[in-house]
Parts: sequence; structure tokens; C-alpha cells
Amino acid sequence: MAGAASALFLLDIKGRVLIWRDYRGDVSAVQAERFFTKLIEKEGDPQSQDPVVYDNGVTYMFIQHNNVYLMVASRQNCNAASLLLFLHRVVDVFKHYFEELEEESLRDNFVVVYELLDEIMDFGFPQFTEAKILSEFIKTDAYRMEVTQRPPMAVTNAVSWRSEGIRYKKNEVFLDVVESVNILVNSNGQIIRSDVVGALKMRTYLSGMPECKLGLNDRVLLEAQGRTTKGKAIDLDDTKFHQCVRLARFENDRTISFIPPDGSFDLMTYRLSTQVKPLIWVEAQVERHSRSRIEIMVKARSQFKERSTATNVEIELPVTSDATNPNVRTSMGSAAYAPENDALVWKIKSFPGNKEYMLRAEFTLPSITAEDAAPERKAPIRVKFEIPYFTVSGIQVRYLKIIEKSGYQALPWVRYITMAGEYELRLI
Amino acid sequence: MAPPAQSQRSPSPSQPSGKSEVSDLKLQLRQLAGSRAPGVDDSKRELFKKVISYMTIGIDVSSLFGEIVMCSAASDIVLKKMCYLYVGNYAKVNPDLALLTINFLQRDCKDEDPMIRGLALRSLCSLRVANLVEYLVGPLGSGLKDSNSYVRIVAVMGVLKLYHISASTCIDADFPAVLKHLLLNDPDTQVVANCLSALQEIWSLEATTSEEASRERETLLSKPIVYYLLNRIKEFSEWAQCLVLDLVAKYVPSDSNDIFDIMNLLEDRLQHANGAVVLASTKVFLQLTLSMTDVHQQVYERIKAPLLTLVSSGSPEQSYAVLSHLHLLVIRAPYIFSSDYKHFYCQYNEPSYVKKLKLEMLTAVANESNTYEIVTELCEYAANVDIPIARESIRAVGKIALQQYDVNAIVDRLLQFLEMEKDYVTAEALVLVKDLLRKYPQWSHDCIAVVGNISCKNIQEPKAKAALIWMLGEYSQDMHDAPYILEGLIENWDDEHSAEVRLHLLTAVMKCFFKRPPETQKALGAALAAGLADFHQDVHDRALFYYRLLQYNVTVAERVVNPPKQAVSVFADTQSSEIKDRIFDEFNSLSVVYQKPSYMFTDKEHRGLFEFSDELANLSIGAELADTGVPGHSVEANDKDLLLSNSNSEKEETRGPSNYDAYSAPSYDSSLVSIAASQTQSDLISSSTTVPGNAPHSSFDIDDLLGLAVSVTPSPAPAPSPPLKLNPKAVLDANAFQQKWRQLPISLTQEYSLSPQGVGALTTPQTLLRHMQSHSIHCIASGGQSPNFKFFFFAQKAEESSNFLVECIISTSSSKAQLKIKADDQSASQEFSSFFQSALSKFGLP
Repeated sequence: MAGAASALFLLDIKGRVLIWRDYRGDVSAVQAERFFTKLIEKEGDPQSQDPVVYDNGVTYMFIQHNNVYLMVASRQNCNAASLLLFLHRVVDVFKHYFEELEEESLRDNFVVVYELLDEIMDFGFPQFTEAKILSEFIKTDAYRMEVTQRPPMAVTNAVSWRSEGIRYKKNEVFLDVVESVNILVNSNGQIIRSDVVGALKMRTYLSGMPECKLGLNDRVLLEAQGRTTKGKAIDLDDTKFHQCVRLARFENDRTISFIPPDGSFDLMTYRLSTQVKPLIWVEAQVERHSRSRIEIMVKARSQFKERSTATNVEIELPVTSDATNPNVRTSMGSAAYAPENDALVWKIKSFPGNKEYMLRAEFTLPSITAEDAAPERKAPIRVKFEIPYFTVSGIQVRYLKIIEKSGYQALPWVRYITMAGEYELRLI
Repeated sequence: MAPPAQSQRSPSPSQPSGKSEVSDLKLQLRQLAGSRAPGVDDSKRELFKKVISYMTIGIDVSSLFGEIVMCSAASDIVLKKMCYLYVGNYAKVNPDLALLTINFLQRDCKDEDPMIRGLALRSLCSLRVANLVEYLVGPLGSGLKDSNSYVRIVAVMGVLKLYHISASTCIDADFPAVLKHLLLNDPDTQVVANCLSALQEIWSLEATTSEEASRERETLLSKPIVYYLLNRIKEFSEWAQCLVLDLVAKYVPSDSNDIFDIMNLLEDRLQHANGAVVLASTKVFLQLTLSMTDVHQQVYERIKAPLLTLVSSGSPEQSYAVLSHLHLLVIRAPYIFSSDYKHFYCQYNEPSYVKKLKLEMLTAVANESNTYEIVTELCEYAANVDIPIARESIRAVGKIALQQYDVNAIVDRLLQFLEMEKDYVTAEALVLVKDLLRKYPQWSHDCIAVVGNISCKNIQEPKAKAALIWMLGEYSQDMHDAPYILEGLIENWDDEHSAEVRLHLLTAVMKCFFKRPPETQKALGAALAAGLADFHQDVHDRALFYYRLLQYNVTVAERVVNPPKQAVSVFADTQSSEIKDRIFDEFNSLSVVYQKPSYMFTDKEHRGLFEFSDELANLSIGAELADTGVPGHSVEANDKDLLLSNSNSEKEETRGPSNYDAYSAPSYDSSLVSIAASQTQSDLISSSTTVPGNAPHSSFDIDDLLGLAVSVTPSPAPAPSPPLKLNPKAVLDANAFQQKWRQLPISLTQEYSLSPQGVGALTTPQTLLRHMQSHSIHCIASGGQSPNFKFFFFAQKAEESSNFLVECIISTSSSKAQLKIKADDQSASQEFSSFFQSALSKFGLP
């Protein structure tokens, strides 16, 4: 038996129940609240707490979003992965309704929240979690407008993610190819881990029930079609698709065909575990001139072609927590000391390929150090950046065809961008 | 919703205290109730909204019940929704008032708007008032037939709700049958999915009392239903897909084509964006292929990439759930991720619950080829990140050291930890060095040199202190200062708060005394005196014990305290493989996260009862095979399973045979299930532990096949027959048996006729096992189902450690026993054979 949830709770940052829905009547709010407040009091830092906790016959699974905890409770041996994911979906639903999910937005919308909680889960089994579909029968502005509410068509459709009768004056599709680079460099300057996680993010504004077909420079496909693949094709390690993509067809002939949901969604995600050259390389040297003066010299180098430019580069350099009086000079961009993060943040608006910039910073340290000082938490250097019009994997959208029976012309807009994901260099 | 919560909170000044506001609301609602003025609905909505928010923040507004019901006669859907909400909240505490609402809810169930019909029906079923169930049957019945799928979706769940309020009403109205019809015929997949959830639950709960229900539950797992659902799986919502996949994982396929069909159909599910679907498919693939070792391995390869992607993308909570599952997989198949270990390196920003699991993964995937990199990475964490993780990573290094053969590099690293001079690092490292020395005494010289430099004063943690003291005692001859350090510790006896440390101190000073008597004598006296005066019972007792021991005989005392020690080859695994298998059976559930089978953390009434059906299904398949008579074949096939599998694949195969071969688990299950069935609702495990007599065998279920759990109960063995004396307490572990069986040639093959009494007595393998054991012939593995049984026995000569191994296949239908005997000492095999036969011939005789 899959196992059903007993209740769903929305709690404030102190763990008090804001609103809850009792699905099975076997876990009470008092019980849950008492347990949860104790849990977060005890731990202090809820981040370190496992998201699945057992207490007195009840399993609590929770996630945090802004100043709200979402928590399901269950007395059965339920599916942990599915329920945790479900909570994230609930966050998406609330975000769709209230722009942002936080304590205030919940307090202002108790009635809608109850309605939603009733439709996303029934008797502990997840039901509808597509915000787009839900919003067809639960409307926030219904209190003023005289709209007739009826169960959405999509509930009965084979295409459960899109309803019929959508109309746009201008039919457009935006496709963003976003790749984030995860990299981990150890203190010897060796890359010990690197991979690329890519996503095809779509925003569709299309009328009717459009059929879309997407062509990529996927090596398997191109080879199957007998085309030359010199340098142009790519291998994707593990691809995952939105439920709208006909997976059977992809398995057969690698065609990505689908009827898209309305609005924005992730069409496809993929992973590439090939070794990636760090796009931005940072070297740092720390010199202790005396007991009370420390100097950091940093070199940042862009290791991609000149024609690309990285934007919004942010290099976060860890600094000991007791450093004061920063004195910083940079050859490009600006640097600011952020004592709240124990870091020096060096921002470079635009960083063209094959360039090298320098930073030199001096700090004063207290001359007296505590004997039993807490062990230093050494953080890595972390880098954030975006490189537009560039992908690490070399993925290309060869075509995006949109066919609808009314025969309209739709405009596809494709954009590429690479950004830093978990980009860490343990160099200091 | 929140009325109970109110008692928890102190009323804050900003919140309305309640009383006056509620009576205010009451007045206003009354005024509006009868009014038909334009815009009245808007003002009603405002009032209702206020009521709902009061209710939510914990003010008791139940006194407004009457007014609310009066106002809700309006056709406005928003008002209705709020009214349903209100009623649902207070009906349970006010059953009398709830009766008031039945009327209008029933009316709304016939509304022309399907939305209202659905909502009203849901509210009606959610009232949870036992004496109102009679009003539910009618609306539910028509709801299930409603033309609108939304209403049907709600109605199906309504049936389950009704079942929980009053099971008999639900069964009497024949709703399960209607649900079964909808399950197979409804065009809407959410209706189908809800039917599946409802039926699984209803029949599982009913199965404890009704034969028919347990049959019905079986049919849910039948080929037509499973295939029907599989063919439609792409239409289902992601959550419903998980549900279907969970069902499919329990399906027992009829043959390998069946398996491949299902896998082909589900292959693309591994690419679903929803991680829960991916995990559920993984479970199906793993469960289906359990019996096919090769394919099973391929499945591991196939699922690797999707699972690794799930770990590195998505929320930390998802990584957490997936990592728990990976950990389970890696325990079963350690090599699968051995080249992907870099995926388990920790990121700086990850929450520590993810880091912790990653460290466990790194420990589990470490092997000869990647140890160096992994240990280097772990050492990085020991120095850098937060303290709990630093500790965990040092422990991880230690665990890797204990599971590897080549520990050179690791020992150096551990010793470096000791020199880092951070208290917690030293503490953890000390404990590890101690364990390491127990396994690899050859390293003592290097370790002791470093350990000797550590000052006791810097170590506060009891575990670490105990470890250090243990080393001081154990290696006191190599550590110059040992007696004096111990003496210093004993002087501060009263300041030592941990009993564990004091116990170790007593033992260490004893050991030291025997190695360096003149230097320790004084300390020993002080320790014993302090120990005898200790308020802690154990410390006191140990001190007294040592004292008396010394008084009795010093040499004996030395033998007790300082015996020559053998290096520990393998540290005991805390979890039995039976439990691990059970967790694997419950893949994709909380069991995996908790690393405990579900019966350990759920109450009886909340337990999925499908565990029983698993066993039942296996049983029926097993019996079927045996009846249709493919014995010869399956004996052959099974030969591999029983013996030739190496220890790595043992675990994968344990469930396999139970599905397919007549010669395996089912025979155990038969006893199990009958026991379990007689103790309705009690769990398999708990019931089997209460079985007397053959309990050790039957409770260990499948593993017993491999003889891992054969207990050598010292039964009072009657004197074995004169010529050949066998050791009644012979011990041979399963691996040794397998190895021997492979190495030795067959020295004798014989066929032997069984007496009719013997045949009659052989209903389960256990009866023969006990009989043979009374003749000092021990069973290492057995299996089978009437009429065919297979056994592996061993025996040992009484004086020397010369073994006899026997494979014995018995067919009760032909009353024949086939024996294959292998022996260390070939010359004695003939003698043993006749001994064996005489023992066998006595079987079944009173």
C-alpha cells in the first residue's frame, strides 16, 4: 500500500500552525505543533534537521519556504520521496496564486488556501497539483467577479496539463536553454568534480492545442539520420522530460514532440558529466605580514573565447570572521566587504573572454586571539556568473515547429545562457 | 481546524479575544439571512470570510452554526464553499448540529452544477459522524454514477471515507464492487487512480476477516488488472503513476517475456521529470528482475544515471530521499557506483542531512581503486566544514580503513588527524585507531608511537578517553609511560563522570599490572579500592570481580584479563540480512529512510497488509510449479542459487528463488503463512518469533537457504553409533561450506529408498532437519516443497576437524533419496554414508 498522508500543515517560522487540513483524522494539530516547535527549538538551526522525522508513531516530513514550513504527517509507511516532492509542488501552487508564499500571504487568503488544500489532496492521496489547472476552478478574484466556476475541462481530458479553448492574439514561444556549471576544485588546484546540468525552459503563449516538435543536435539522432556529426553533435547523459513530452516517441526516433502546457515550464533537463574546463578560474594567495595584518591577492581569469562575455560576475572570497579595516584595490569591478557572510565580494559587471583581472585586499586582524577560539570554518571561494549566447555542452536547437489546426504562425524565440551552479574552489 | 490549537496559545493583545466579535457576527448574519436586497451576497461573503479566519486563528465560532446554515441557502458557490468548510470543521464536535446540515448538503449533491455536486459530496463524506452514515449511501451511489468525472473522483474517495466511518455500511452497499467496475472502465484516469487507492486500502483491511476480500486483494495484482493499468499509465497524473508503479512492483510475472514486456513499457518512465516516478519505476525494475541475476545487474546500470541526476538536481529534500535509496542499493551492489563516487562529494552549501548521507555513500562505494581519492576528500572535510560533519567524515575514514585490505595510506591519515590538535578530531581519531588496532594488530607499533604523545588532559569525551585507556592497557609494554598515565587517571577517579571510562580504567590497569607488575601494583590497589567504593553498580561489580579473581589465583586472573587475542576479522554487522531484505522489499517508502522495516515504526492498524500477500503470492507460485512437476529442472537451476553464487550476489538472489523455484523459500513460507494466518493481523516477523521448535529456521525465512542463520542449538544429542563418531556441535559457516563443496570431488553418489513412514513424516524440511541433527548431522541449507525437497548437510568427525558434506535430494512421490557425499577424508566416506543412511532410515519411526 502506498500509504496516505494524515494531514498537511502550514506552520510559521516558530513552528506554530497557521492553517492545516486534516485528511484522515489520526494526527491532531496540537500533537504536530507540540512536536514541531520542540524540534526547531532544540535544533536551533533547522537546516541541519533531517526533513523526515519520526515521533511517537507519526512520521513528519517538512520543507521550508521563506518564513513558512510545509509539513505532512502520516501514520503509514508512505512514500517519502513522493510526499517531499509533493510539498514542493504545493509551494509552486501557492506561488502561482499569491505571487510569493509567505506567512502574510497565507494569512490574507485563508479561504483560498483551504480550497486549494482540498483539491490538491483528498483523504491523504495527492490529486491535482498543476497550478494552471487548479486556477481554472479556484479563482482568487472570484469574490468580486461573477464567474461561473466549473470543473476544468482538463480534468477530463487526456491532456491533463492543458485545457482547451486558450486564445492569444499573438502566438509566441520563448525557449531558454540554461546550463549551470557545477565545479569543485581542491586546494591543489585540481578539478575533482565537474558537471553541467542543463534545462530547456519554455514559456508558451499559444492558442488552441498546438503540436510542437523540437530538434536538437543530439548525436544519437543525427547519427541515426545518417548526417555527419563532426563536432556539432552532443551526447546527453541523462535526460528528463516534462510529462507533456511523448516519451515513447523519443525512445523510438529521438523526436521531442509534445503539446505544451500554457505558460512557463521546464520542457527538458539533462546532465553532462564530461570534464569541463573552469570557465572562470580564480587563484588566491594569502600572506600574513604580521600577527595583525593579512593580505589577499586574487587573480581571476576567464577561460573562454574572446567573443563571449561573462556578465554579473561575483567572486566571493572567504575572510576570517575577525578581520577589520579592509583596504581593497581591483583592476576591474568593485569589491565590498560583507562581514555578515565573512566574505569579500568582488563584482565585475562584464568580464570578456580570455582576460585576467586582479584584486588585492588588506585586512587588520585583532592582535589578541582567544585561546580556545572555535575552530575556523573554512569556506571555499565561490563564483557566480552568467554567459549569454553560450552553452558549455554546445547544445543547439535546430528547429522548433509549432503546428496547430487553425494554422496560425507562431514565433519561436530561442536564447542560450550558461551560468555558474555550485562553483566552488577550495583555494584559500 | 484550529480550535484545539487555541489552548496552546496565549491570547495576544492584537488578536480579538473572541466573545464580543462572535456575538457581533451572529447578529449581522441573522440580519442578512432573510434579506434579498441587492449586494447582500457580497456582505455575506465578507462575513463568512471573517468567520473562517476566526476559525483558523483558533477562535471558537461554533456558536454560529445555526446562522451559517441559514445563510448558506443561497446559490452562491463561494458562500457554499466557505459554508462547507465551516461545517466540516465543527460537525464532529456538534453531531446534533451536523444533522441540520445534512439536508442542504444532500440537496446540493443534486445541484445542476457539477462543481457544487462534487464539493457537497466531499463535505458530506468528510463529516465523520457515525450516526449520519445512512445519509451518505444514497448521494455516494449517485455520485459514483455521475456523468461528470469531478464528481466521480470525489465520490470514489467518499467511499473510502465511508469505509473508515462504518465499514459494514460500505460493504453492505456493495461499493467495493462498484469501484472495481470503475477501476477497469472509467475513462478518467484520476477516477481510476482513486479507485485503486481505495480498493487497496479497503481490501487490505477487510482481508483480515474475510476470505473473499483477501482474494479480491489478490486479483488487484492479477495480470489483467496490472496490464490494463500499465497500458494507460501515460495518461495518469504523476502521483497516480507512482501508485500504479507501486502496485506493479508487487506483481508476480508469469514468465520472463512478461518481465521484459513490462520493462520495455516502463523504460521511458525513468526519464520522467518527477523524481518520485523515477524511484517507483526503479523499484519495479529491481523487483521484477530479482530472479534474473544478469538482467538485475543491467538494471543497476540502467537506473544509475537517472538516480544520480536526481541527487544533483532538485531540492535538497529530494536528494535526501534519493540518497537514502542509493545507500540501500549500494549495500546490495557495492560496485555499481564505485566509479561515480565524485557525485557524492559534498558541496559547501548543502544542508548537513544531505552531507551525512553523502558521507555514508562515500564509505559504501570505497574500494581498492577509488579509496585514495575518497579518503583525500574526506580528510578535506575533517579540517574544513562544520563539526558534526567533520566528525562523521573522520568516522567514515575509519570505516573505510576497516573494510579495506590495504590500509597503509589510511593509517597515516588517521595518525595525522591525531596531530591536528583539535579536540573533536583527536577524539574521533582515537576511537578509530582503537578499532583499527583490533583488526590490524600489526600496525600497533606505528600507532602507539603517536598515541603515546597524546596528553590525556586534552581528551574529554568518554568514548575517546575509553579508547585511549584501552590502548594504554593493551599496549602497556610498548608505551613507556603507560603505568604512570594510568596512575594519574586513577588519582582523579572521583572526577571521572563516565562509568564507561572507569570500567575501562579498571581493566586497563589490570592488564598493565600483568605486564609491568612492579610499576603498576600501587595503581592497581588504588583502582580496586576506588572501584569497590564506586556508586555505579557495574564498576563496583567489576572491581569486586577482579579483586576476588586476584585473590583466587593470579595466573588464572592473567588468563582471564590478558588472554592471547585474535585479530577481529569482521566487525559484526548490526543489521541482519533478513531485515535488509525486508527493507529492500519496501523500497520507495519510509522504511528506506529510517533503515528499518515498516513494522518497527508503524502501528498495526496503519500497516500496509500487502506484506502478507507477498508471501501468499510466492507460495502459490511455488506450489504451482511443484504440482506441474518441473522438479528435475528446478533442482538444477537451484543448485546455483544454493551454492555457487558468490557472496556478492547472494543477496540479490534471495528473493529470486522465492518467485520461481519450487526449491526454495516457499516451503518456509508455507509454515510462516499458516502461522501468520492463524494469528490474524499480527505481523509476520513478530508471529514467527513466537513459533516454538522450528522457530530459528522458519523465522529466518529466505536467508536460511544459505544457512546464514542456522543455529547450532546444542540439543542433547544421543550417543552417535560406535564406529564413526561425529561432533554433535559441529560448526561450519555457509561460505566455508560453499567453498568446500566447490573444491572437493564427489566421493560417493548413492540412491536410497525411503521408508513409507519417512515419506509420511516429511511434510516440511524442518522435520528432517531436526531428526538429522539428533544424529549430529547438521543442515546448512534446505528448501523445497512437497513432493520434492533438497538439503545440504554437513557433519564433522568428533576428534578431528574432518568434514563430510552431503547433498540430499528427496522425492516423496517416488520415495527416493539421492545422495552426493563429499569428504575431506575420502577414506571415511563409505563409513559416513552408511551412517547417514541409517540415520535417514530411522526418520519417521516413532
